[in-house]
Amino acid sequence: MTTTLQKTERETPGASPASFALSRFGWRGAVSAALLVALLFVAYALHGAGQAGLSLSLIFGAAFGIVLQRSRFCFFCNFREWYDDGDARGLIGIIVALAVGVVGYTVVFGSWLPDASTGRLPPDAFIGPVSYVLVLAGLAFGAGMAISGSCVSAHLYRLGEGSPTSPFALIGTVVGFILGFLSWNTLYLGAVAEAPSVWLPRWLGYAGALLAALVVLAAVAWLLSLRARNTVSSPAHDDQWRKIFVERWPAWIGGAIVGVLGTAAYLRVGPLGVTAEIGGRARQAGTALGIVPQRLEGLDTLRGCITVVRDALLSNNGVFIIALVVAAFAAAFTAGQFKPSWPSGGQITRGLTGGVLLGWGAMTGLGCTVGTFLSGVSAGALSGWIFGAAIFASVAATLFVGRRVGLLSKPTA
Amino acid sequence: MSFKTILSAAMALAIGAAVATSAQAQAPKASPLVTGEWLEKNANDPKVRIVEVSVEPGLFERGHIPNAQNIVWHTDLVDTVRRDVATQEKFQDLVRKLGIEKDSTVVLYGDNNNWFAAWGAWIFKSYGFENVKLLDGGRKKWEAEKRPFDTRVASVAPSKVTVSAFDKKLRANLAAVSDVVANKSNVTIVDIRSADEYSGKIFAPAGSQELAVRAGHIPGALNVPWGRAVNEDGTIKSVDELKKLYAAAGIDGSKPIIVYCRIGERSSHTWFVLSQILGYDVRNYDGSWTEYGNTVGLPVINVAGTVWGGK
Repeated sequence: MTTTLQKTERETPGASPASFALSRFGWRGAVSAALLVALLFVAYALHGAGQAGLSLSLIFGAAFGIVLQRSRFCFFCNFREWYDDGDARGLIGIIVALAVGVVGYTVVFGSWLPDASTGRLPPDAFIGPVSYVLVLAGLAFGAGMAISGSCVSAHLYRLGEGSPTSPFALIGTVVGFILGFLSWNTLYLGAVAEAPSVWLPRWLGYAGALLAALVVLAAVAWLLSLRARNTVSSPAHDDQWRKIFVERWPAWIGGAIVGVLGTAAYLRVGPLGVTAEIGGRARQAGTALGIVPQRLEGLDTLRGCITVVRDALLSNNGVFIIALVVAAFAAAFTAGQFKPSWPSGGQITRGLTGGVLLGWGAMTGLGCTVGTFLSGVSAGALSGWIFGAAIFASVAATLFVGRRVGLLSKPTA
Repeated sequence: MSFKTILSAAMALAIGAAVATSAQAQAPKASPLVTGEWLEKNANDPKVRIVEVSVEPGLFERGHIPNAQNIVWHTDLVDTVRRDVATQEKFQDLVRKLGIEKDSTVVLYGDNNNWFAAWGAWIFKSYGFENVKLLDGGRKKWEAEKRPFDTRVASVAPSKVTVSAFDKKLRANLAAVSDVVANKSNVTIVDIRSADEYSGKIFAPAGSQELAVRAGHIPGALNVPWGRAVNEDGTIKSVDELKKLYAAAGIDGSKPIIVYCRIGERSSHTWFVLSQILGYDVRNYDGSWTEYGNTVGLPVINVAGTVWGGK
């Protein structure tokens, strides 16, 4: 717990927002506020320059970064809290995000494609081909999460917290992407080319798919609660500002915001996803080095986080990620949660190894926990559910085995 | 400022063409282009059907001109198995679903300077629809003029229209092109690709999937890149400017014309400009360079000397 804040707690809030931030959160609050204002200014300037897509992506990225940091919306940590401590609140937060996302996407789909049964898929939604490759991708990605300590989106917000592992995990992710590109043609011709992209509303109708998703999510929530133990909740107090800017937001609130944000992003720019830019740049680098094949069969026709190599300096997803990291830093800095430290050898090794698995899984699975899983399930894609199941099964298995053989640290009591 | 130019161009056109009838009502009928202002006023006219043909997926769904309907170029307008445009039957199903009648005014628009909208216009014309127009400037101009977008689906009753057979007068095939090359017919061929594609310096623009294994151009073809017919704001240049532009390249409409590009879509833009706006006799060679440049034994001019597979 930080104490800096308590010192200034009794001061009178200032008249202007800036002096208020300064009085409540000291110079760190002022720096964070300035960063967010700078982001907004860039968004404003981009919009003025006729780049509405970039401008919106920046705002969505910043909002996503703040929510991830404030609510610790981390797929791995939330799972581990339940797995180790029986605290299901984080996972329930993810379930809330999925439920809100499914409802939101259904509202959007109804307007864009009134009839779900025409055989046409909604534009840009993450509805991926379902084959054993997707399961392998999920298993690799889950193992990567367990080893490196987070998935890609959480590594990004942790970059803003000064995590010593995340930079190495992200470097590993780029390497993993290149390995993914190297194995892609074989996997594509072997399985992906013929795999069906199953969109549940096409078979169940919008109402049926919505109902089915909510029933499954409710069932999972109930199963989680069976294992949940009593958890100590943090002592209640009345300082609202502290609750917003310093303490961890309740997971379900974070989840609900992520669900709304996912819907808004899909409506206006494209589904949430954090690996398109990393993948695109990895492909660019790999092609320049001559190690990635010139032709990646079928890849540019598939829906997912992986997109064509772009020449543009700034893509929507690139701006989204930069804003995510900057805003996560601003949120962490105000809360006194920016704690950079020198990486240890173990952190470097785990970051790189886990990162490679994350990258390979995200490439061959055409996305990550945010894209293929969260945005995919929201979009009614069977691929989202299967990828999610494979990820969490793999996280559990990797934690279990890794701790047995002593490669991963045991839970701290 | 540019809007003024168009307005005055449209006025000049109307007056030039004109009998002393109401110029305002006549303008859209006379011109193959409509302005955003006209379209916004007439969007609810049941005789007007608005169709978006954009390259980028998701654009239409996230916001389109009110009452517009969507055509997906890579599935709706082509035969997905053979390399050909949509069959008569398939196209008829499509236009019926869009509620288009024989006497409907079909206004097409899209992203990328109306590339694919112009290609759509070529197909609509070829299947016997008379009143086919482009929204001048496409999506870009509509947006720049701050006109509204809509995400709702237009409710349109299907029509029972019968589509006529594909009009071969608007389309050139490989045989027609090689006849020109062999001096068997007196036709001007216009290559509307970039200067680098024309000279053979590159095989295709970066990122293009479909290629020919030879670089260069069809012997005798004149190079006028399509983009020269377009103003900065995406609108098509005035009739006078267009006449001057093409005359300078040796194209004055005195001879029949064949236009081509790489796969036949960009060339539809020039086809539209030359045939619909200037009234020249123009055929679109939709096989284009990916057919000609891949055909064994035909003569090719490759100024740059680029060799396929070579270093």
